[in-house]
Amino acid sequence: MTHRFSARQTLAHLLLILGAVIVLLPFYVMISTSFKSPAEIATGTGGVFGSQALFTDQSCTNLGGTEADCLVRPVIDNYSQAFTKAPLWRYLLNGVIVTASIFALQTLIAVPAAYALAKLKFWGRDAALGLVLFCLLIPVHAIALPIYLMLAKLGLTNSYAALIAPWVVSAFGIFLMRQFFMTVPDDLIDAASMDGMGEFAIIWRVMLPTAIPALLAFAIFSVVAHWNDYFWPRIVITGDRSLFTPPLGLREFKGDLGGDFYGPMMATATIIAVPLVVAFLLAQRRFIDGITLSGMK
Amino acid sequence: MATIQFQDIRKSFGDTEVLKGVGLNIADGEFLSLVGPSGCGKSTLLRILAGLESQTSGSVRIGGIPVDGLHAADRDLAMVFQSYALYPHLTVAENIAVPLTMRRLSPAQRLPVIGRAFPGSAAMRAEISTIVRDAADMLDIGHLLERKPGQLSGGQRQRVAVGRALVRDPAAFLLDEPLSNLDAKMRVHMRTEIAQLNRSLGATFVYVTHDQAEAMTMSDRIAVMMGGELLQVGTPDALYDFPNDIRVAQFIGSPAINILPVETDAGGAIHLCDRRTGLRAGGPPVEHLGVRPEALAPCDDDELLSGRVRLIENLGSDLFVQLDVPGVPLPVTLRLPPSERGKVKVGDLMHLRAAEGRICGFDVAGKAASVATLKRVASHV
Amino acid sequence: MCDALTLSSAASKPQKIARPERRQARAGMALFAPALILLVVILIFPVTVAALLSFTDYTLGRPGISWVGLRNYVDIFSGSSYRKMIVATVLYVLIVVPVSVFLGLGAALLIRSLKVGQSFYKTVYFLPVMASLLAMAIVWEFALHPTLGIVNRTLAMGCGTPVEWWSWFAHGCTEGFPLWLGDRDYALYTLAFIGIWQSFGFNMVLYLAGLTSVPSDLYGAASMDGVKRGWERFRLVTWPMLGPTTVFVVTITTIRSFQVFDTVEALTHGGPAKSTYVMIYAIYQKGIAQNLVGLGAALTVLFLALVMLINVAQRRFIERKVHYQ
Repeated sequence: MTHRFSARQTLAHLLLILGAVIVLLPFYVMISTSFKSPAEIATGTGGVFGSQALFTDQSCTNLGGTEADCLVRPVIDNYSQAFTKAPLWRYLLNGVIVTASIFALQTLIAVPAAYALAKLKFWGRDAALGLVLFCLLIPVHAIALPIYLMLAKLGLTNSYAALIAPWVVSAFGIFLMRQFFMTVPDDLIDAASMDGMGEFAIIWRVMLPTAIPALLAFAIFSVVAHWNDYFWPRIVITGDRSLFTPPLGLREFKGDLGGDFYGPMMATATIIAVPLVVAFLLAQRRFIDGITLSGMK
Repeated sequence: MATIQFQDIRKSFGDTEVLKGVGLNIADGEFLSLVGPSGCGKSTLLRILAGLESQTSGSVRIGGIPVDGLHAADRDLAMVFQSYALYPHLTVAENIAVPLTMRRLSPAQRLPVIGRAFPGSAAMRAEISTIVRDAADMLDIGHLLERKPGQLSGGQRQRVAVGRALVRDPAAFLLDEPLSNLDAKMRVHMRTEIAQLNRSLGATFVYVTHDQAEAMTMSDRIAVMMGGELLQVGTPDALYDFPNDIRVAQFIGSPAINILPVETDAGGAIHLCDRRTGLRAGGPPVEHLGVRPEALAPCDDDELLSGRVRLIENLGSDLFVQLDVPGVPLPVTLRLPPSERGKVKVGDLMHLRAAEGRICGFDVAGKAASVATLKRVASHV
Repeated sequence: MCDALTLSSAASKPQKIARPERRQARAGMALFAPALILLVVILIFPVTVAALLSFTDYTLGRPGISWVGLRNYVDIFSGSSYRKMIVATVLYVLIVVPVSVFLGLGAALLIRSLKVGQSFYKTVYFLPVMASLLAMAIVWEFALHPTLGIVNRTLAMGCGTPVEWWSWFAHGCTEGFPLWLGDRDYALYTLAFIGIWQSFGFNMVLYLAGLTSVPSDLYGAASMDGVKRGWERFRLVTWPMLGPTTVFVVTITTIRSFQVFDTVEALTHGGPAKSTYVMIYAIYQKGIAQNLVGLGAALTVLFLALVMLINVAQRRFIERKVHYQ
């Protein structure tokens, strides 16, 4: 009996390891390639992290550098090219600005609305909730075209506003927070009123602290979605590189270099993927719980 | 129908030992309650009997045959769960039929839709539905057969769960706190129904509860468990009148037994707060006395104890008077007949004596120790 | 007496009457107003705009606009490239959804059965959900590169070994292994594979959550009722109890796969031979890149209708079948 059981466990592990190998394959390819010299990439040699033998940088000699000056380590060359060939710092900064602004504005709009829907009786509340539920069904990507036209008419394409504006109201955020606020006892709000708090004080000082788990779940959901979003920036940012978000920058890298500079490109991909992956590895439980919470509500 | 034997059952989760060697024999057709505070190991013991958990050591026999290592499905037991554990996607009829379809139909016959085409399937299904209908009628849920569990009240779900156990005609019924999710009125009602079911079926019932009142009213015998140990097994009367452990005395009975801290001098005389009580230890020194509230009665002089009335609880049928007694940390409770209403007031001084033979003594380890009245000892001398 | 006193003081200072209901109503409307306005401007209004523009020949930057009736819709349903779009979109969804849901469920069940290593696999399988799909798509493209990629290099190592009894493999060894993204017979399946790779970890996490909410008493009851084999237990307890999770997982995976864009835009541009010309990419290409706004708007309307249909179907299904109330 015990023997059969362990055989079963072994089989499960074997299946899951096979899956894990396939899941991790591109991560391995990405990181490994970002460590290798062009020659190693072309021949498929160099093992996991490349031999790290010095090689001569062609672009450096073309610019008149001597052989000795232009000897570089592949890993350093790949990563330094990632930052010098394109303003990658700028892209990362844009990514941070856009994701942070979107989340801040979403919270600012969604939390009071969710509180009103959950705890205040006002004329048209049921209709308002119906509207939110209806909007939940509209994927913003699907209506990209009309939103783009509106922004174009307002002359707002190629601006931070274009990157941020369509996302400031999240029906999902409102709904999620409302579901959470529903579970907060009315007595807490009544007590706060008796203590002399106004509606705003109640929202930000009583409701929000109790809803931190929901807000965190929403934050993870929102940040992951917008840091990685490629579709929307691709539409509204045309040409102005100073407004590129990280995915746009990587896409440009691919387009520019015609696919021969795999080392620097993989270095860029690694840099773009790393922040979220590291955050995830550090706080997995939070992330998984957050995604689950936002998924199941 | 079968006897059940637990032989030195031990169970550990890591370093914590939840069952510390439990031995217990249950007779055929007996209604035995396992009772104790939560975390005492009673549910674990039941789940070990059911085959849902395995013991670390020891052996379980059903009908004299060891069942250790036998799958729960093969032990011929039926169980009613605290949460009822009804399959929410199946109708009441289907829920009750599950144990029969799983046992009587082959895997092929059980297949949805095409299963019905296999030979013998139709006849067996007809037979099952007859049994289900009979069980449902017996439990008065015949009109609910097509409903889903989500549409039923708590009491109705309870009956479905019992019905699912009933159709099997098992060797024994296991019930794990089956009434704890019902409201107070329903609980009292189902109490009598389950007890009657035991009499009419003549089957062995093992009933787990934390509610001593349930155990007292339903059981042939009660097994009191605490801290993973079996403290005492006996009839409700025996447990009530002759608890062999101070913890049993305190657990059984409501309102709780009065526990008086006492001292036994070298001569064996028992003192309460430096006063002789007219009692002496029959054996080892007595550390505590236990007296049930109804065993106390007012008297004119200070026979056992005296105290001032602190609170009077009028339940209509009974009058419970709580006294502050010097040297006793908790108030002493005394039951008076309703005729005494209005005659006792808060602040009154009352003298109490205990009915003959209704005082229990406990030694330093909390085990029962004999107590005799001085009078009888004196007559012997 | 008391009443009269209250009345008179109320009459003298009407603005001081505390009316919690009215105050609440005012606060409620005020707090919801920003969200209301933005929902209408950002979501409802564009849908209306798209619906109206789909009947016109509007293009951005040109002043004229004229009503063309249903011409855009007729074009969509009669043109061959649009038929290819429907085929590519539907095929992609029909591959990604079942496989990704099945793998998510399978991984969740396997992981739950483990004694050690649960969190390791959970973490690994969830990584693709976190990583930027565009970045990973580009990595996959490199991994699937016909000559430089690790996939074809690994496959080539199998040449000359017994694996060659597989005729597909033997063919690859002599004629070269597929170009994957560059081959019209493989491109859509390759994109679907990337889509599955990226999404099944998400489904796994939802299924794991669903599994923890199955009451353990039900498994106990099933054992007592005579269920011994894992498969029977799955059929009697696990699968029915996962009903709501499954409906949700299927819906969200379906809607997300309908929206596939990143991989198509970065890797195939809808090609080769329009074999990966999926709907959102078509909207982007026609409506924005080629500025055929009317056509793009008509595609948008069709797309929205499709998504709404799936959502309504989901709601119906949940209400009728899986909530057991």
